Amino acid sequence: MKDAKKTAFSRHVLKLKNIDEVIDNICTQLKEDVGKRFRRKGGVVGISGGIDSSVTLALAVKAFGADKVLGVLLPENDSSPDSKEFALKLAEKFGIRTVEENISGALDGFGCYRRRDEAVKRVVSEYDPAVDKMKIVIPEDIIKRNLPPVHYVTVVFQDGSEKTVRLPMNEYLQIVAASNFKQRSRMSMLYYHAEALHYCVIGTPNKHEVQQGFFVKYGDGAADVMPIGNLYKTQVYELAEYMGVPKEIIERTPTTDTYSAEQTQEEFFYQMPFGEMDLLWYGWENGYPPEEVATVMGLTEEDVMRIFKNFERKKQTTEYLRTPPVHGYYGV
Amino acid sequence: MKDKIRNFIAETTFTEPELIKDETMIFDEGIFDSMGLLSLINFLEEEFGVITDDTELIEENFGNVERIAAFVERKKAAVAS
Repeated sequence: MKDAKKTAFSRHVLKLKNIDEVIDNICTQLKEDVGKRFRRKGGVVGISGGIDSSVTLALAVKAFGADKVLGVLLPENDSSPDSKEFALKLAEKFGIRTVEENISGALDGFGCYRRRDEAVKRVVSEYDPAVDKMKIVIPEDIIKRNLPPVHYVTVVFQDGSEKTVRLPMNEYLQIVAASNFKQRSRMSMLYYHAEALHYCVIGTPNKHEVQQGFFVKYGDGAADVMPIGNLYKTQVYELAEYMGVPKEIIERTPTTDTYSAEQTQEEFFYQMPFGEMDLLWYGWENGYPPEEVATVMGLTEEDVMRIFKNFERKKQTTEYLRTPPVHGYYGV
Repeated sequence: MKDKIRNFIAETTFTEPELIKDETMIFDEGIFDSMGLLSLINFLEEEFGVITDDTELIEENFGNVERIAAFVERKKAAVAS
């Protein structure tokens, strides 16, 4: 039964009521955790030119001061050139120091590109990584099938034509495992700078990434603090506007910046626009009845129930990612 | 055939086979996830020579052991005819 004290579900239910207070609370907690609890002097943020890392950086600057924040740009062979341009614009706006670390050499050393491309070629033999691009997608209609998602690889050939093929298990796993070297290499480099400065690594995942498992374990999922880890994406945008994140960053479509072909987060993982997903997730997480959510969202009750089931499944199957090493096997 | 499918699911997931009834919804019950689905597609191909088309990836074909077995039977019958 619905809790009588619960706010009625509406399209405005997630709008931040007192944004100054929200920011102050986050920054007070950040200072407490980094300075007092972890006894570190500042924060390192990996800046990609995306909305999440931009807001994280803005919060870190407000909490510690610009002179105690280092922005690290971590480009590699597949990065969009926009990422660097936007990240530098952000750094300029907030007056922080930056360092650029190209991790392509490290990734070559790990065999990241080679291992990934070998797997892609096994399913699309015409793929030539020197000139063609690739990305992983989930078809839009997959959520309607009431099954967990299966992934497809799309190769964008040099002439602009595309080929999309469903990935068998071994190839899918190899592509993901190889690509995850990127997030883990970035993490290693961030910790290098953090340790060299006696700073903390300030992580950038938002609530959806944390709760739905859209991060790499010990990659972008590894950090000392995650100031936006409990904020919905639309709330991250609210903070971005309020804190003066450059307009180009706010207007940019969120991408994974992981595969060589441009790939939105929606097509890779979420399968629905952020505004809708925020509200539906909030409705599910807070136990609103599907019929109440359906009315507000303009969906059928069956649609909402299917989406809720999908959320539940995602949360359950990604528990592994959120769980730290289990060690209590023997003794007291 | 149902037992082969059941045993495959049980072995893959460290589940006792008797806990997987013909009508147990393997995805709804959290026994299988997307990796389970991919491994099941592989298994059907290797064990029964059944290749799953994209359009056949629906709950009606893969939701439980009963449906998977029926799907395999239909595919094999279609190839034989």
